[in-house]
Amino acid sequence: MSEERRVGVDIGGTFTDIVTIHDGTVNVSKTPSTPSNPDEGVINGLTKVSERDDFDPSEIGFLAHGTTVATNAVLEGEWADTALVTTEGFRDVLEIGRQARPDIYDFQVEKPTPVVERDRRYEVHERLDERGNVLTELDEDGVRDLAADLVEADVDSVAISLLYAFEDDSHEQRVRDILADEGLDATYSLSSGVLPEIREYERTLTTALNGSLKPVMDRYIGNLESKVEAEGVGAELKIMQSNGGIITADIARERPVNTLLSGPAGGVQGATYVSGLSGESNLITMDMGGTSCDVSLVEEGTPLVSTDTEVGDYPVSVPTIDIHTVGAGGGSIAWIDAGGALRVGPKSAGADPGPICYGRGGERPTITDANLLLGRIDPGAFLSGELDVELEDVRRTVEEEIADPLDMSVTEAAQGILDVANANMARALRVVSVERGYDPREFGLVAFGGAGPLHACKLAEELDIPKVIVPRTAGVLSALGLLISDILYDYSTSRVRPWADVSPADLHSQFDEFAAEGHERLDSEDLDADAMQFERTVDLRYAGQAFELSVSVPEGDLDAAAMETIAERFHERHRQRYGHAYPEEPIELVTIRLRARGVVETPDLRPAETGGSVEAAVSDTREVVYDGEPTETPIYDRDALPIGSSFEGPAVVSGVESTVVIHPGQRVSVDDFGSLHVEVNQ
Amino acid sequence: MSIDSVTLEVIRNACIAIAEEMNANLIRTGYSPNIKERRDCSCAMFDADAELISQAENMPVHLGAMPFSVAAAIDRYPPETLEEGDAIILNDPFRGGAHLPDLTLVTPIFVDGDIVAYAANRAHHADIGGARAGSVAADSTEIYQEGLRIPPVKLFAGGEVNEPVMEMILSNVRTPDERRGDLRAQEAANQTGKRRFTELVEKYGVETLTEALAEIKDYSERRMRSEIESLPDGTYSFEDVLDDDGAGNENLPVVVELEVDGDSVHVDFEGTAPQTDGPINAVFAVTASATYYAVRCVTDPDIPPNHGCYRPIDIHAPEGTIVNPTLPAAVVGGNLETSQRVTDVVLGAFGNEVPERVVAAGQGTMNNITFGGTDPRDDSPYAFYETQGGGFGGRAGKDGMDGVHVHMSNTMNTPIEVLETAYPLRVTRYELRQDSGGAGEFRGGLGLRRDIQVRDHHATFSLLAERHRSTPYGLAGGDSGGNGAAYLIDGDEEKLPEKSTHVLEPGEIVSVRTPGAGGYGDPDERDPEAIARDLRLGKVSSEFARDHYDYED
Repeated sequence: MSEERRVGVDIGGTFTDIVTIHDGTVNVSKTPSTPSNPDEGVINGLTKVSERDDFDPSEIGFLAHGTTVATNAVLEGEWADTALVTTEGFRDVLEIGRQARPDIYDFQVEKPTPVVERDRRYEVHERLDERGNVLTELDEDGVRDLAADLVEADVDSVAISLLYAFEDDSHEQRVRDILADEGLDATYSLSSGVLPEIREYERTLTTALNGSLKPVMDRYIGNLESKVEAEGVGAELKIMQSNGGIITADIARERPVNTLLSGPAGGVQGATYVSGLSGESNLITMDMGGTSCDVSLVEEGTPLVSTDTEVGDYPVSVPTIDIHTVGAGGGSIAWIDAGGALRVGPKSAGADPGPICYGRGGERPTITDANLLLGRIDPGAFLSGELDVELEDVRRTVEEEIADPLDMSVTEAAQGILDVANANMARALRVVSVERGYDPREFGLVAFGGAGPLHACKLAEELDIPKVIVPRTAGVLSALGLLISDILYDYSTSRVRPWADVSPADLHSQFDEFAAEGHERLDSEDLDADAMQFERTVDLRYAGQAFELSVSVPEGDLDAAAMETIAERFHERHRQRYGHAYPEEPIELVTIRLRARGVVETPDLRPAETGGSVEAAVSDTREVVYDGEPTETPIYDRDALPIGSSFEGPAVVSGVESTVVIHPGQRVSVDDFGSLHVEVNQ
Repeated sequence: MSIDSVTLEVIRNACIAIAEEMNANLIRTGYSPNIKERRDCSCAMFDADAELISQAENMPVHLGAMPFSVAAAIDRYPPETLEEGDAIILNDPFRGGAHLPDLTLVTPIFVDGDIVAYAANRAHHADIGGARAGSVAADSTEIYQEGLRIPPVKLFAGGEVNEPVMEMILSNVRTPDERRGDLRAQEAANQTGKRRFTELVEKYGVETLTEALAEIKDYSERRMRSEIESLPDGTYSFEDVLDDDGAGNENLPVVVELEVDGDSVHVDFEGTAPQTDGPINAVFAVTASATYYAVRCVTDPDIPPNHGCYRPIDIHAPEGTIVNPTLPAAVVGGNLETSQRVTDVVLGAFGNEVPERVVAAGQGTMNNITFGGTDPRDDSPYAFYETQGGGFGGRAGKDGMDGVHVHMSNTMNTPIEVLETAYPLRVTRYELRQDSGGAGEFRGGLGLRRDIQVRDHHATFSLLAERHRSTPYGLAGGDSGGNGAAYLIDGDEEKLPEKSTHVLEPGEIVSVRTPGAGGYGDPDERDPEAIARDLRLGKVSSEFARDHYDYED
């Protein structure tokens, strides 16, 4: 398969990144994104790389895509007119939510807008109990009447979420079948398929979101597929999901709610892979761009997955790489609040107008401007004679807006902006590490995105993280992630039962059922049996608690001993996460999960030897300020740094995609894959 | 100021992160649905002077009242009598508590033998003994009927559970296993706070940290004062009522006079009803908490909440009234219901002068319901407690939110699927109440209807609610919100008194209807499109629209 040409395309806010792998060689390309018509950016990128590398698009054997189409639809509330069908008496569950208001002191706060408005929410007469027993039979005539109403309402998409459908999905299926039989031309989302898990609001919301996104995703993928096909690409389009796994475009059409964090998930996957090449598998990833910073934690090479991620105002409960976002990016604006305190963000100048130093009309001081004033960024990178902006303008604005009111020098003000921004990011790094029971001292910090490597070495010092890794491809990790990620399908069902009452045989047969589904699915994508893996987990808690912990299930047949092993693993996880465990307390099963994995072959990312020496890589020297101290600092050209070389900070490593700031006393080495490893002082 | 503003901001963020992490741990390891699902709990950090420095923002009524708990704990156990590994529990409303179900745990944090801070958290336990399952009885007349009264006492000493105290508590409650689990979660949360704060001390040193914490409080005080200064000087007053006390005393006035004088506010509750037999007496800590909340909301919600926010506010609540009762008053509803009315009158007084900074009255109650009995599925005792959201007041420029907790409460609902799995109860209906929101240019939020059926057993049921007769006021010309109500459904509907206790037969349904909120601004000014939208969504009936708006169909 090595002759196959593999292509990954990730659409970001500013650039569409394309990574190709052919005969073990990785090539990277960027084209401007086309936000109004994202598929155009994809085609432009494909054209660009095929012309540059001189190949015919028909040679592409694998094409994967990270998309923000679903995310943008949610953030902008621009989704399809959807109907929601619920159990009688409960159509308002979606709108009531959990009753809490989002902020306790702010009188102007709003609840999230219901995904489906009240006049599009319908009820059917039926009811199950908490074990899935039928209390009230489904009123099928009522469903037929409903079909007529829905035809009249002309909806494109129907979401069906009935109470306890995760215990028994037959009523949901029957409702769909009747509506379809009655001639309702629509696409369907069933809660028992989208998220078969307990808690009606979260399940209903996720199902309704899926329903409202389906027509949007369908249109986008349809367009993209036909354009890609017109270019001569024969390979089936694949899509990155929020859980870091690849699925087919057809499945993404069915489950758009699983792609809400498609782009950021690709980044975490890429960072995990590249760091893993040099043996680093416990990682905190940090992707800092223009408006925000995404952080996540990777344990033993596997990104942590969460089932309560928020996208916009909505809690989305499908498995998602646990990415925590803070409003700290290069464009975040520094300001003085009413009490005289220096604040940074969450307001951002974004890419347009952007920081003052971009010269596009930005007038508020940003993190990037502070980095510039401290000498961390090459002034020549932004400021040219053609633009009507000078370093002096940046200095004057920071002086007027920050330094003077705080009675500081401009340098102190710029340093202050970075310190406050770093404090915000440190809080985010703590959320994904210490708050989850992980000690940052046992992790490496992988920095990427345009601004990540500027801040990472200082942040690592503050959190006692011993090492920072900056991959060579730091600017296109999301696209690279598309090419090294496995194909993943998740299956789950809630079964709230005392663990002691769960029969190993029943549990085993549930796993077998899921595994058979997964096998069939992977088989249909032409995967060899030896490339298939099936990972079994159960979500457990102490009987009486409400939050579960996922525990892996031993391989092979399940017996009493295996059940005991699982219980022991749970106590251990609980101790790790919360600092205490109660081995004598009864445990409860909540959800059974199986992940079917199709393992993808991964490329060799070794760059060509550059030769040369560290000394020769120094292109310039500049005064850079570290913790308030101006220090003459060598500027290294990243591409000229030889593999295996090492040197000491202070140093600035300047590359096409990002700039790395290495503080005095920190030591850098370049690994076989061109990644920089920075040892941070303890 | 010798400490720079950047270090200050960094330390302030770190203190908030500590409280939030404590809170996340408490919710995730708690046992009763009231804590783990509804988040009826709060966590906070206090400095060595026992002054609030940061909090995780769950329950407003807890937050302003917790400083009284820490003060009472230290009053009983002065710092020199405390040791590493101690933790003090209390719930006595007359010694730092609010009402008996709220158990507060205070843990001193030592560095080099000295106390540098306290971690504290409060959780509403689903039962703390007393006459009625769930310990939110509507018919108590003395605190002695309301449950176990715990003065400040060491629940942990030298790192070990004080077993005699634990046994004493567990012997007096209906669901001891759940209580033990919740208490352990409370202890683990404070341990988290202790660990994190100690790390902060290691990083900055006691001296810098102490200085920073003092400045963080001063900073909030400065901002609070500059906000208060922007309010017109003068005396603002307002009066509203509680419907009754459950013991036959009706229309109990809650009266406030605010004096805004430069950068401070004096709040006086003179004229409020004398304390009554029924369980609606709010101890001073609760009254203060409700007042602090209201003043904070009309200033700038962005001001970091800590002790500094309280300094410009001075409160007088006459002793022997329902806003500052003495022993042996029954108090459970003071924390739940009277606290809401205190907020209503303080906001109402501001509303007369600066309506655009406040909102019309919210539902003004927490609609407390409690079921208790023996679960026929496994013959185990249970106590189920929850509160219900309702209308949030109309505001300048926006309709009020529908079906949310207002002011002193901000708990979540119990998911139906979780409720029915945990308890022998069935939810048969859960929806927004049409026409319950007060008309106005900006409509008041809608109340809720939640119907709960008893399955296969006899259950005791207590209701403790308000606004079944009085209505949440409108503001700036808006109409008042709709009343709440409760019915017993057994073939036909029987109206239940708003504060009452009953034994329910298998199959009987209690239907709780929560109040809507007041509207804001003249209803005639309402945008016709907003009226059309309410009609389309069924939030308003055409009859209501004809009666209250300039509308004809």
